[in-house]
Amino acid sequence: MWKDRIERLGTRVVDFFTVVYELSLLFWNTVKSLNSIWFYRRQVIEQLYVFLVRTLPIAAIISVFLGLGMMIQGVYQSSVLFPRALTINVIFKTTVYEICPIVLSLVLAGKLGGSLAAEIGSMKISEQLDALETLSLEPIGFLVMPRVLAGLTMLPIIIIFANFVALFSVFFVASIMTDWISPQEFVSGLKINVRVFELYFGNFIKPAVYGFLIALVGSYFGLKTRGGALGVGKSSTNAVVVSAILIVIFDYYLDRVLL
Amino acid sequence: MIEVRDLSKSFDGKPVLQKINLDIENEKTLVILGPSGQGKTVFIKTLARLIEPDSGTVLYNGQNIFLMSKKKFKEIQKQMAFVFQANALFDFLDVEDNLSLFLKMHTSYSQKEIAERVEESARLVGLDHSVLSKFPEELSVGMGKRVAIARALIVRPQVIFYDEPTSALDEGNVSKILDLISALKKEVCATSVIVTHDVGLVSKLADHVALLKNSRITFFGRKEEITEPMLNDLYETGEDNGQ
Repeated sequence: MWKDRIERLGTRVVDFFTVVYELSLLFWNTVKSLNSIWFYRRQVIEQLYVFLVRTLPIAAIISVFLGLGMMIQGVYQSSVLFPRALTINVIFKTTVYEICPIVLSLVLAGKLGGSLAAEIGSMKISEQLDALETLSLEPIGFLVMPRVLAGLTMLPIIIIFANFVALFSVFFVASIMTDWISPQEFVSGLKINVRVFELYFGNFIKPAVYGFLIALVGSYFGLKTRGGALGVGKSSTNAVVVSAILIVIFDYYLDRVLL
Repeated sequence: MIEVRDLSKSFDGKPVLQKINLDIENEKTLVILGPSGQGKTVFIKTLARLIEPDSGTVLYNGQNIFLMSKKKFKEIQKQMAFVFQANALFDFLDVEDNLSLFLKMHTSYSQKEIAERVEESARLVGLDHSVLSKFPEELSVGMGKRVAIARALIVRPQVIFYDEPTSALDEGNVSKILDLISALKKEVCATSVIVTHDVGLVSKLADHVALLKNSRITFFGRKEEITEPMLNDLYETGEDNGQ
């Protein structure tokens, strides 16, 4: 019994390092395929567009309610002794630096990462990847590199947009609907102790890393798909789970290292 | 000319191809016949370098395709075309884009020239113009096969690989696809390699025949040399004779 358990543990450890190795290899091959970025320019432009168009409506809805939720919680937790401008400052920083990037990235890991793995996975099982090769096209250059580039560049744009929407919803409720804080106080609250690097960190670095992870992990599980519809479903689930776990791990380490 | 020498491949220790040797002459059609599960698809994919063999060589006009750099092989690959068993049409593209993808990616043709080549390929396989705007899931199996063949032809290949071109087709469509491949033989003058379990293809299409059983070539020669006992022996398990 113990022997079986140790064997199973050993297999899992080997599997884990195999995935790490293969993901690194895919990353390296994707970097190498950047040589052909001009050749695959149509696919890159298409993916940039798809990534943005597919996600903006979801980002808008989520960020409106994230902002409202943060506002209600902030007001509820703050006391009369705590200046309102400071409450707005805390809401602003928590939303822009942490909540918006991570919540949206987790949602998009489910939406984009899952669909990306399913898309590439179903191409794999229906021999469409082989068909690409017979047309002298590289599956990594044609499919993976454009998606990784789209994740890397478009998620920051989506997050900036979402941060604006979230902050506007906070402003709308706090200053216009309820008069809880005056617009002047609201703006001054935003300006307290703001550092440019922090803004850059929350709006560019974190989303770029998460977007890259979502696209790379989704593509990896898509390319690893075996079997039929069951295999596609499994790849899609694995892509969502692994990218979500990686996002929260990277979130912690990015905060620790860069702040 | 394609020369196959001592080609072997196994998966998880189970041999699928063992010491395969044969020659495929230019502008001739080789039919590789065998029951299902004997490694026919693995063999044809190895010829197109979609699968790397464990040992052995495939010489294309005297050059070993497995020793070439990827870049160099890509140039040779542009002279080859592959018709997949399940067609493998790109489901995110309509028929027109499926046909024109190769030209858009590899040539500097104008839109007009690409449209002309697409029309030409569609005409060769008897596709109606209205089909061009459809997506693969909207096509019947027979129509999908025609599109797959048209996509192969647009490359103007010197070698065409067909993987089970008549599987999953009804009798009427089988005969139409055989007539089409036969007509293309005359029109395109490409070397054709066809793997199939269907004995009927031999008389209609083959110049040469190879019989593949238990991962080995049991016969390779002209189709006239094939005898009834050979075919009986090939299908002695009684499965998948396509008759």
